[in-house]
Amino acid sequence: MSPFEQVLNWFLDPANWAGTGGIPIRFLEHIQYSALALLIAAVIAIPVGLLTGHTGRGGFAAVSVANFARALPTIGVLFVVVVLAGINLIPVMVALVALAIPPILVNTHEGVRGVDPLLKDAAVGMGMRGPEVLRRLELPVAMPLILLGLRTAAIQVISTATIAAYVGVGGLGRFLVDGQSQGRGNFAMIAGGSVLVVVLAILVTVLFAAVRRFALAPGLRR
Amino acid sequence: MITFERVSKRFPDGTVAVASLDLEIPTGRTTVFVGPSGCGKTTSLRMINRMVDPTDGVISIDGADVRGKDPAELRRTIGYVIQQAGLFPHRTIIDNIATVPFLLGWSKAKAHARARELMELVGLLPEQARRYPHQLSGGQQQRVGVARALAADPPVLLMDEPFSAVDPVVRASLQEELLRLQAELHKTIVFVTHDIEEAVKLGDSVAVFRPGGHLAQVDHPERLLAVPADDFVEGFIGYDRGVRRLSFFRADALPLRSDIVLGEEDTVARARETVRAHGEPWVLVVHADRTPKGWLGEPALTAAEPDALLGSLATDPYGHVFRVAEDSLRSALDASVLSPAGRAVGVDAQGQVVGVVAQSELGSAIWSVGGEESDPAERGAVGSDG
Amino acid sequence: MGDQPLIDVDWILTNLGDPIGTSLLEHIKLSFLPILFGLLLALPLGVLSARWKPLYPPVLAGVNILYAIPSIALFFLVLPYTSFSMWTAVIPLTLYTLAILVPNVVDGLGQVPDHVRQAATAMGFGPMRRLLQVDLPVAVPFVIAGLRIASVATISMVSVASLVGLGGLGQLILTEGFRNYKFLTPILVGIVLSVALAFLVDGLLVLLQRWLTPWTRDDSRKAARAAAPAPEGDPA
Repeated sequence: MSPFEQVLNWFLDPANWAGTGGIPIRFLEHIQYSALALLIAAVIAIPVGLLTGHTGRGGFAAVSVANFARALPTIGVLFVVVVLAGINLIPVMVALVALAIPPILVNTHEGVRGVDPLLKDAAVGMGMRGPEVLRRLELPVAMPLILLGLRTAAIQVISTATIAAYVGVGGLGRFLVDGQSQGRGNFAMIAGGSVLVVVLAILVTVLFAAVRRFALAPGLRR
Repeated sequence: MITFERVSKRFPDGTVAVASLDLEIPTGRTTVFVGPSGCGKTTSLRMINRMVDPTDGVISIDGADVRGKDPAELRRTIGYVIQQAGLFPHRTIIDNIATVPFLLGWSKAKAHARARELMELVGLLPEQARRYPHQLSGGQQQRVGVARALAADPPVLLMDEPFSAVDPVVRASLQEELLRLQAELHKTIVFVTHDIEEAVKLGDSVAVFRPGGHLAQVDHPERLLAVPADDFVEGFIGYDRGVRRLSFFRADALPLRSDIVLGEEDTVARARETVRAHGEPWVLVVHADRTPKGWLGEPALTAAEPDALLGSLATDPYGHVFRVAEDSLRSALDASVLSPAGRAVGVDAQGQVVGVVAQSELGSAIWSVGGEESDPAERGAVGSDG
Repeated sequence: MGDQPLIDVDWILTNLGDPIGTSLLEHIKLSFLPILFGLLLALPLGVLSARWKPLYPPVLAGVNILYAIPSIALFFLVLPYTSFSMWTAVIPLTLYTLAILVPNVVDGLGQVPDHVRQAATAMGFGPMRRLLQVDLPVAVPFVIAGLRIASVATISMVSVASLVGLGGLGQLILTEGFRNYKFLTPILVGIVLSVALAFLVDGLLVLLQRWLTPWTRDDSRKAARAAAPAPEGDPA
């Protein structure tokens, strides 16, 4: 049997679609973990990025923190928190949030800071105050970059959420871990799980393209 | 000589940029292509070095069809200067200038020596050689662009709106510099601009293009201002072409009078006598070195003591002066308009007063060059009114 | 677990050579090779995509899909072909760097302003000479900006390779720290060394860029900024 047929058969086997360990449940679990981690990261990173970008202060610190977080090995973060907090969802969330913060933070900061000073000058000249400049000018103009940061973070989180299975939690990573542990490795199960992760990543890319259509001011769409 | 014979350029989308252009560009002179945007002037220029190839017709340089040569080889013999200078951001000034010599296989020492020579020629400082383009002002970058185009001493120089991105003061000085360079180098220059003022200032001849790629008129700039071929050209030249045309006539033929010029040591009585004798209501007072001090009018003279010296009286300012040997009728007219006495003061190279001329006499001089058949070469045309 | 010291200095001293030193060397090898191979692949891919525009969208889609495959899965998927060798880690990690490097190469090649490109052509530069003497040098700051992101990402991602048993600092974290004793010291040593290595390589790349592109010295901020908001980070 060719590798392609093996994977196809795995997808066609009704047993793989049923029950708590079936594809639909694992897929939803994966979405839940990823969405929660992305939400927490966005709630932390977007306000900080807007603030540092708008005031021009703390930008260096924000970018440094992001660089540091990017250099952290995710596996290391995961196991430190497992040792400290035990096996549950907390280590997974800490690791994924640490992963998702850098792209969101850097892109929000750069997006706001990159707004043409002439535009800011015009906004202040028309009598806008700081918060109004941020809300009416900087946020909409920075939106394409912020969305790009969120998308990058989402793809990375979805891909990395598979390691959740290594600390005994669910999601699509289960197929990778369980496939690996079956003898010399169940190729079809590992490949099938990977295909599902890629499908989810593509769905998210499409979702972001749609969000871009609605969230961007028409003049900023390209 | 660069010759365009029935040259047309039609782009794939169907727009006609140049329509059957016939033109001769004389060797060693500056020919300016001018016209509104979309008139085909830049396309015509770019067909000379084959950045664009014509759909029809032949362009030849000294009789040889440009399409007979390899484009890269051809371009190395034609200097090219463009609006934003097009300098390589990753190369020093000296290496930018030496680009074409390097391409031609010159040794580094020889190429750099040539580049240093050119830096001096275009007015750049030797210590700028190791700088990078972004460290220079726009005007300096444009000088580098000109130096780079001249590096391999090409007989032909193509300039595509080279000065339109710099401020007016810098532009004027770059234009002066180009005139000075050209007086020394005698290149065959083809210069594209949308600014008629620039065209008239720089061109030995000016080719006016109209939208759709047709040539409206080719002429000496003075003739262009005097006799526009049609309404389009007249409209394009603008409203004060008559006054601007005076730039092409020297002021040295003006009848200057020195009999109403008096020294500071002369008395009021002498000045009153002068006014009476010549029927002139103003006298010009000069310092001991014959530089102008100011005007004294008849009322002021009447009110003063007859024995008083002119140097002790307050004079009206003399406005600005014109240099008799170099300046044009336009400068003289301007000086007379701005003078409180309605008279322009002509000076020599040292700033000493040669004489003064009244608006009425200027009027006669302008009248005499007003003829449509005037030949500026015989009348001592000047290239600019600077 | 609860009452162990955060850092056990004795353990570090006794294990300094092996496994700490050997893991570090392995980690360096496993991250350096993918960055090198990634650059060697990204340059021709980027040049082709920049020259022949219709190629770019499919290339970009391709490298982005690769980027979305979990690294742990990709390690397992290449395992049958590479058996247990360093290539099991090197091939997937190389493919991941492409998602960062290819767009940076293409963007960098697009940095040459149109007027500069025209001036080059007008002076008699052919396409190949223009690529080598104008387009590529101007692209260097962008390519290095991409290399910085890719190397930080790769160095942190190599740790995942240990889940497949391929060595590197991840082995220290996983085997010494987690599976054996739930012992924090090796995990923290692994994290610190990995982060330090990432910062060191990042710093070296900054120095390399200063040396290679003297013309950007007083506006290197601009080049760095232009490349900063690119997709970044590590798929695991």
